[in-house]
Amino acid sequence: MKSLKVIVIIVFVILIAPGRAAAGGPFGPPQPIAKEAGGLHTGIGYWFHEDKYKNGTEQVTRQNQVYSELSYGSRNGWEITARVGMSDLKLIDAFSSSTSSTATSKEDFEEHGNFFSTLGVKGFYPFNKTFGMGAFIQGTYYFSDFTDAVSGTRNGVPFSVELGVKNLWDVNFGTGFQVTVPYGIKMYIGPYVHYSELKVSSSADVAGVAFASGETTMKNKTGLGGFTGIEVPLAKGFRLNLEGQYTERLSVGAAVIYVY
Amino acid sequence: MKAFSFPVLLFVFFAAGCAHSPDPIASLAPPAAPPQVQRVLVVSDSVQIPPTPPEIPVTSETKNVDDYGDIEVPEKVSEEAQGEIADPLEPFNRAMYHFNDKLYFWVLKPVAQGYEKVVPEAARVSVSNFFTNLAFPIRFVNCLLQANFKGAAAELGRFTVNTLWGVGGFLDPASSEDINLSKQDEDFGQTLGAYGLGHGFFIVWPLLGPSSPRDTVGLVGDAFLTPSTYFSPWYAGAGTRVYDRVNDTSLKIGDYESLKEAAIDPYVAIRDAYVQYRLKKVNRKGGNTPAEDSELPRK
Repeated sequence: MKSLKVIVIIVFVILIAPGRAAAGGPFGPPQPIAKEAGGLHTGIGYWFHEDKYKNGTEQVTRQNQVYSELSYGSRNGWEITARVGMSDLKLIDAFSSSTSSTATSKEDFEEHGNFFSTLGVKGFYPFNKTFGMGAFIQGTYYFSDFTDAVSGTRNGVPFSVELGVKNLWDVNFGTGFQVTVPYGIKMYIGPYVHYSELKVSSSADVAGVAFASGETTMKNKTGLGGFTGIEVPLAKGFRLNLEGQYTERLSVGAAVIYVY
Repeated sequence: MKAFSFPVLLFVFFAAGCAHSPDPIASLAPPAAPPQVQRVLVVSDSVQIPPTPPEIPVTSETKNVDDYGDIEVPEKVSEEAQGEIADPLEPFNRAMYHFNDKLYFWVLKPVAQGYEKVVPEAARVSVSNFFTNLAFPIRFVNCLLQANFKGAAAELGRFTVNTLWGVGGFLDPASSEDINLSKQDEDFGQTLGAYGLGHGFFIVWPLLGPSSPRDTVGLVGDAFLTPSTYFSPWYAGAGTRVYDRVNDTSLKIGDYESLKEAAIDPYVAIRDAYVQYRLKKVNRKGGNTPAEDSELPRK
């Protein structure tokens, strides 16, 4: 009963928390996905991710990530996860003009396919066969820069601006509460803290276009969020993990995992 | 152009070489006259001779009986079906065998032993898994060419599972008890064999080891389906194959030595082992067992 009360409190905290930020990739269930004595799991997944950064101006980012992950851990203990994948990046309305004298060829900054890597560690404490609680920390780093260019006219004079996004990284830590229902289905929910930053550099200063020339460091707008998910056993050792992270915007994803 | 000239020359050489292959049927033909069976009756006063039983004709499933219908004549069995191979190039082959033998003991084995010392076995097995997964096109295409569609589907499944959930092929979840998709060890030489092409005569290639004209043509076909062939520059592909061989050898050190020690004439033992190994592979359809893969030590 005590554990149930804790879960209710946490759900309440999540629902009233002024979450604004989204994180890079799913956290997974608090309980490590491994055989009893310990072992590997691998997985492939897709993650749709939105976040909002600020530094003077606010910028919404959108990403589609595909990744492969490898984890090692024991079922009622700890787990370490490494993930590599590719992701695009879209800065919504980054090139749109706020003045009528400036016209641009497109509105969004967009680049396809940069590699990223994620490393995570989690620990799990089972209250009993049904309920359990865990904590995790997970960080993501993008190995290369995103770049895109826009052309347009300012008072009839043509211009071209190149925008670069570099050093995009994030770190997340939080706790999760898990309930295991019949057929081995795990449902989980929890709060987390998120920190992310990136550097935006513009090659020219064009009035009406959001980013000024030079380099600007932007950080995620709000650092508290909540996540929930479900993990369902499939056939032949495979498992399906669905997760959502709700903040100002919703990030969702799915992964198919194989347990060795 | 240079890249293609070698396989073409090889093909021409072996196409010409095949003509010298002896006719295995003719060489094993039975004698012209069937052997005569002498019937001797011993008559004794003290023994009552029982009435002669009616002659029972020989029953034969193969219908291969002699002119009198009482002795079954063995079916004509080809040299290949017996697991034998013509060896008209024996002096050359023995020279190449010794060259490969020295190459193994002086270069490949020491390098593989050094590699074995610094790289843990689990990592070497993972590398082996990776190269096996990379060779998927060879197995898949040859399953299709042999109309082994079940095998082709299994290979496609293996490649998908091992690439996506086996960390790019370094792990082999497809072979696990749960998934149980066995490897279809098919190559172009086996496909030619399945089409009825005999292996011809025995030949030992420097570096490549024991082969036959059929399997040499098969090697050329397989090279076109090997991803490392298309690596640029060429030495990146060559280096990849050498590394694969060193890694593979590090997992099999001792196999070749055991075969060599057990044999009176290691050259003959390897020739026989090679022919029987290839014959078995041509004749069987379906997945390999793990033991099957390590039957023939490769140099």
